[in-house]
Formats: sequence, C-alpha cells, structure tokens
Amino acid sequence: MSRSGRFAAWWPGRAAEHEDGTEPDPRFTFANERTFLAWSRTALALVVAGLGIVQLLPPFPGVPAGRHLLGVPLIVLGAVLAVVAYAEWVRNQRALRRGEPLPRSIMPWILAGTIAGMAIISAIVLLISALR
Amino acid sequence: MTPVTPAGGPARDDGPEETDPGLARARTSLSWTRTAISFAALGGVVLKVNVITGAIILAVAPLVWQLGRLSRGGPRSTGLPVAGGRRLLLITVCIVGVSLLCLLVALLGHADPGALRQPAPRGP
Repeated sequence: MSRSGRFAAWWPGRAAEHEDGTEPDPRFTFANERTFLAWSRTALALVVAGLGIVQLLPPFPGVPAGRHLLGVPLIVLGAVLAVVAYAEWVRNQRALRRGEPLPRSIMPWILAGTIAGMAIISAIVLLISALR
Repeated sequence: MTPVTPAGGPARDDGPEETDPGLARARTSLSWTRTAISFAALGGVVLKVNVITGAIILAVAPLVWQLGRLSRGGPRSTGLPVAGGRRLLLITVCIVGVSLLCLLVALLGHADPGALRQPAPRGP
C-alpha cells in the first residue's frame, strides 16, 4: 500500500463508515467506542499526573531535574496513548465490519512498560536523592 | 417470569432493555460524560497553575459532552452513532493539544513546589 493510501486508511470516513464489509452489531460498535474513551481518560490521567509531579511536588535534593525527569515523559506518553487508542479503534472497527478476529492490542504493553519504567526512574531518583 | 399477552405470545416490553439491548447506548453515553468530567478535572488542576491554559482546557469539557450527546442521536434513537469516527478523531486531537499545552506549562510555567506539603506547625 502506498504512503498516501496508508494515511487515508486511518481517516475516519474510510476507516469505519464507508468501508467494505457489513455493519456490525451496534453493541460491538458501542463497546469499541467505550474502550477508546476509557483509554482517552487513561491518557488524560497520565497528563495530569505528569503536570502534578512537575508543578506540585517538592524538589528532590541533589536531583534538580528529578521532577521533570518523572513528569515530562508521563505527559508525552499521554499524547502517544491517545493517538494509539484512536489507531486501535480504527483497526478494531475495520475487523468488526469484515467479520475478522480482533487484532491484538499493544495498549496494555505500552501502559505496563510506562508504569514499570516510571517506577524504575522514580526509585533511581529517590535513591540518588537519599544518598546525597 | 416472561409476561404474556391474552393470545399467548410474549408481551411487548418497551423498557430500556428492549430499545437499547445491553444498555450499550446508555453506557456509552455515561462514558462520554466521564470523559468530559476528566477534561474538566484536568482543566481545574491546570487552572491553579496557569489560568489561560486551564480556561482553554475547561472550555473543551462542554465540547466533549456535546459530542457525547451527538452519539446518542436523540432519546428514542436506535441507530448507530452519528459520524463516529470523526468525533473520536476530534477527541484524539483535543487530548494531543491538551498534552502539548500541559508540556509547555510544565517546561515554562512557574512551579509551586511544596504545594502538597503540610504547613509547618507554628511555634508558641
């Protein structure tokens, strides 16, 4: 598929509404939409957590950039999660229309990796801060 | 026990489960409301840090709620969501925009460190 064709495949009009296949059960369409909205709220939670860390936490002694090190990746990952959630919705909707098995989701991997990574960075920052 | 008509067939029940199987539409509508509340909460937090940015994010909340109302298509509607894909793309664009605004506030805004600390007890 050409690059423009690949881009057009993610455009909502092409992705779910006028594509080949049949209209799926409305319950499945609504469930797909609710899953997207739940991931969107998770993305917003990541953004607000990152902003709270940067703006409200007291500075870590000995690690002047510690708050930014923890908060900025969370905000960026919030944006990434929102985009991936939309891509997943498009893929799922397409599979529902065509009667194919639902594709495997990468979202739990992204979220689990994020949480694990942030936990490791937090532990390192706290250790350095405690040792100084 | 299923109610029956005098003719012996099952009685027509116009309850919410009949017009909205699995209450999928109602649950989706509530999900939209929760998303709008999430935007409002984020706007409230940012409002404490940066008034203009917080007001912009707060203004997005009613827009999201309105998009959720569009998905219902009226109280008696049984059809599919109207232009579902475009609404979801709009939400994605909103979240990316909000993230960029928060990133700017985090990097350039005035921090209030220690806002979560308890005030020190006053001496005698």
